[in-house]
Amino acid sequence: MQVAVERRPTLFFLLVMAALFIVMSLSARTRVGVVGETRTLFERAVMTVFSFVPKTVNAAGQSTIDIYHGYIDMRRSVAENLELKRKVAELTQKSLQLQKSHGDLSRMRAILGYTEQFAIPTVMAHVVMLETEGPFKSLILDRGSDTGISVNDTVVNANGLIGRVILTTKDLAKVQLVIDPNAAVGSLLDRTRRQGVVHGDGQQGLRMEYVASLSDVAIGDLILTAGIDGIHPKGIPVGRVTKVEEGKDLFKAIWVAPNVQFNSLEEVIVLRTRKIPPEVVRYAP
Amino acid sequence: MRWLGFLGGLLIALTLHSLLDKFFPNALAFFNPYVILVVYYSMGGNLVGAITAGVLAGLVQDAFSGALFGLHAFSLTFCAYLVAYVNSRLVLRGPIAFGVSLVGSVILNEMVIFLLINLLQQQRIDLFEQELFYKTLLTSLFGIIVYQLLTLFLRAEPIEATRRPAGW
Repeated sequence: MQVAVERRPTLFFLLVMAALFIVMSLSARTRVGVVGETRTLFERAVMTVFSFVPKTVNAAGQSTIDIYHGYIDMRRSVAENLELKRKVAELTQKSLQLQKSHGDLSRMRAILGYTEQFAIPTVMAHVVMLETEGPFKSLILDRGSDTGISVNDTVVNANGLIGRVILTTKDLAKVQLVIDPNAAVGSLLDRTRRQGVVHGDGQQGLRMEYVASLSDVAIGDLILTAGIDGIHPKGIPVGRVTKVEEGKDLFKAIWVAPNVQFNSLEEVIVLRTRKIPPEVVRYAP
Repeated sequence: MRWLGFLGGLLIALTLHSLLDKFFPNALAFFNPYVILVVYYSMGGNLVGAITAGVLAGLVQDAFSGALFGLHAFSLTFCAYLVAYVNSRLVLRGPIAFGVSLVGSVILNEMVIFLLINLLQQQRIDLFEQELFYKTLLTSLFGIIVYQLLTLFLRAEPIEATRRPAGW
């Protein structure tokens, strides 16, 4: 076998290139799909074999950062302690006010017939690798299927939507960022409730499409997830409108600045969202 | 021994990749350690070994980036084959030959990726020329420094360490 390969290296080269092209084409076809498992068994295998490298680098880097921050923090802690005591008193007062407001809100919801949504199970994860330049935008998390993370889980932080999980191994998860041109999120304008689809513009921004030309859209409008794409729960902030123009067809051209600063992501929250059963996906419009 | 050397190089490239992603996100847009590794091993002139090195390094890069799986493997294998093919006939040696091969490979690698993304995803790559310029410059500089360090430690032509009488 080895001798045969070495005698005809050009044929071997052509066969390898053909095989890689097929793998790539399959990958391209599955990446653009929003719902459903992707064909990534081989990708997962390679990632699993080499996963110890980024995890070790992350652990070593984190330890170094922790030691440095520990020293700096110690110097700041005395002044901060006094400031925090003052804030605790202030926040305790605010907390009491909020508890009262929450009670009022619950009563109002009950009156209006709303049902409380079930709390979504969450997993906290650290960003191990981050890629926001170039044609593909993704990040890798230090938690995987061991902690219950699965494909199509939504990834957020306190500022809003980050992306969705596209691949998991036992201890790592790959996330497609919302600013990736292949990502698509069913969204709505908070002020007018007009729905559309948000996707990455290939750089650091977002575009919102399929919003009718006659719709009322203003600069500064907040955009939230609409909860209609079967992946992202409703109501997660996505970004704010920065520019609106009349589009070529019947839709407006809308530019959106994401709420999240993708270049400085450290910790994220993975929402273990309820998945649409395959039989429902199959008959989806 | 050469396999172990390659595996060590691959782990170092992935460590660099992880370190840069952790502390300087997006640095990989301007620097590619995998090309250095593949060009270095392809300059031994062994075609099958070069193809294998290109596939392995490319798949690892693909697995830890958001790219289409197989994209970098395809482009790196293409570069590896060309470098090995030229070297099997011309037997180029020394830092200048290595530097020239590296510059050519980085440019070719990026061009192949550009074409494949256009072909498979009809996707435009913004700032392609700027990224290509900086990636070629930084990767080549770093590669030549690595080459010189290897010369210092091996006390011989480092590419000879990747050669063998026949096959892998």
